[in-house]
Amino acid sequence: MKKILPVLLGSVMLLSACGSSSSSAPAEDPVEKYGSDTLKLFTWGEYLGEDVIQNFEKEYGVNVIVEYFDSNEMMYTKLSAGDAYDVIVPSDYMIQRLIGEDMLQPIDKSLIPNMDLLTDGVKNLAFDPDNEYSVPYFWGTVGLVYNKENVPQELIEEQGFDILKNTDYAGRIYMYDSERDSFMVAFKSLGYSMNTDNDAEIEEAYQWLIDLDKTMDPAYVTDEVIDNMMNGTKDIAVVYSGDATVILDENEDMGFYMPEKGTNVWCDSMCIPANAENPLLAHEFINYMLTEEAAYDNTITVGYASTNDAVLKAVASEEYADNEAYLPRENHEGDEVFEDNEVIRQKLSQLWLKVKAN
Amino acid sequence: MNHFRKMAYPYVAWISVMVVAPMLLIVMYAFIQKSNDVTTFRFTLSNFIRFFSENVYTDVLKRSLYVAVLTTIICLLLGYPAAYIIAMAKPKRKGLMVLLITFPTWINMLVRTYAWLGILQDDGIINSLLTAIGIGPVKMIYTDFAVVLGMVYNFIPFMILQIYAALDKMDKSYIEAASDLGANKVQCFMKVTFPMSLPGVISGITLVFLPAVSSFFIPKLLGGGQYVLIGNVIETQFLTAGDWNFGSAISLIMAVIIMISLYITRKLDTDVTEAKGGRL
Repeated sequence: MKKILPVLLGSVMLLSACGSSSSSAPAEDPVEKYGSDTLKLFTWGEYLGEDVIQNFEKEYGVNVIVEYFDSNEMMYTKLSAGDAYDVIVPSDYMIQRLIGEDMLQPIDKSLIPNMDLLTDGVKNLAFDPDNEYSVPYFWGTVGLVYNKENVPQELIEEQGFDILKNTDYAGRIYMYDSERDSFMVAFKSLGYSMNTDNDAEIEEAYQWLIDLDKTMDPAYVTDEVIDNMMNGTKDIAVVYSGDATVILDENEDMGFYMPEKGTNVWCDSMCIPANAENPLLAHEFINYMLTEEAAYDNTITVGYASTNDAVLKAVASEEYADNEAYLPRENHEGDEVFEDNEVIRQKLSQLWLKVKAN
Repeated sequence: MNHFRKMAYPYVAWISVMVVAPMLLIVMYAFIQKSNDVTTFRFTLSNFIRFFSENVYTDVLKRSLYVAVLTTIICLLLGYPAAYIIAMAKPKRKGLMVLLITFPTWINMLVRTYAWLGILQDDGIINSLLTAIGIGPVKMIYTDFAVVLGMVYNFIPFMILQIYAALDKMDKSYIEAASDLGANKVQCFMKVTFPMSLPGVISGITLVFLPAVSSFFIPKLLGGGQYVLIGNVIETQFLTAGDWNFGSAISLIMAVIIMISLYITRKLDTDVTEAKGGRL
């Protein structure tokens, strides 16, 4: 879900996909049809298929300007500062927040016939029950990537997230450096809901993390975890399933496990901000991203699970048939989607800072 | 001369919009209570009290100052000889040497710091070599060493160039005069060269200390998420914790610390210059 390097590089040289609008002339003039021939897309770094943007530009005779963010909060800050984008790709809880603050416009489903291609697991999730404002793009879970040579499968199945506090592996673990994901691990390990607002439970999770910090000498990382686990630098890591797919693909010693007590199910979706300058073209783009061709390119390039049902099933049974991280878990008791609660999140953010600075 | 004054207007406008206004906003945020309602301002000192009453934050502040001071000292110890060698080199070579010092800064700092990540990693270039010759991997990444190394690497050109500039414009006949009067090389350096280069040393210290004390991406990349410096605390307040008031208060505390250190260095500077009879 988070790719920091391209965002860093992107801030050095603002990448804009320069499409040659003159090449194969489309049937209709885009300016006449959509009112403009430029689409501004704001998405995660390394979140697009290799040729998706060029193909869309060629097919519709338009230019796509791509900008990248590396956290929902960064995206939110830019958006609320008044920057206009036509399509953004935030995560579940952030969509809920944007809806609540009237920062999104409703999706005109008649303009997106490809909505029918969505897989069941991503439809009507709690953050946007009727998909009124958001169209799922990638989805997945959070789990543990572990080195099968050094960590017995039975042990990780028995202990779940608690293995992160097993001192046999002190100095051998990566935690994910964000308040959301680290507290999710603690809440789930303690058997609480990760959306809890109970102070006693939060305090207990905070102590759980402090304890882990003191006894396990963990490294708190974000995207570095992908390269490092590919190289087998450490034995256990908290990883997004999409990144785990890439890791398992590169290093066959690595396995992926989703704890029985439950974990986070997340979904990044395409939305149209209220201040979008070009909503018609935005709908066309969203519809295009759901096509089999585009969805296949995206999922194969990035490794994250497709929301296109046919593509998801095809890739899970062919290209990633041996990769237990690719296909997200559906309808598992204990699995939850993040809910937006700004007060709690800020509280956790302060606590997480204290865990790290301790 | 008076009509030249008008030429300053654009700068005054620029500074008011780009420097003064944001500073005022920070001061305002620091002293008001957190609320989503823009219309109600409630004056409070709670943001400052919170910072100084919790050990976590003051520990982070101490660590930041420690890292910044250490970085500055190492930059000075490594940078002074380098500047001296350049200043004493033949004119033809000087240009080349200065170019070599500035050369890395042509590449973005973020990218260069990222490169260190690969070099210092547990299975990085250095550790692969050490493993090959049997010394075994040494933990370098995510330690004090990595963070201080990253800072020294990034900021040392500022130190070298400042000292070099001071040494270069020094009149060499003072040294000749000193040695004619019987001073040996060490005495020449201690009594003549070093005191005359002090203004450069002081501005070098300022230019290294300021970015070092507030840097947040070097500790983040090379120290890992668990290496929290004051810059990271401020970043968290603005980006994820959403507490702009507390973030502004910490920024203001840092600004005061920096102003005090600037005042001290300037005082040192004038003291030194006055002691030499107002020269330089």
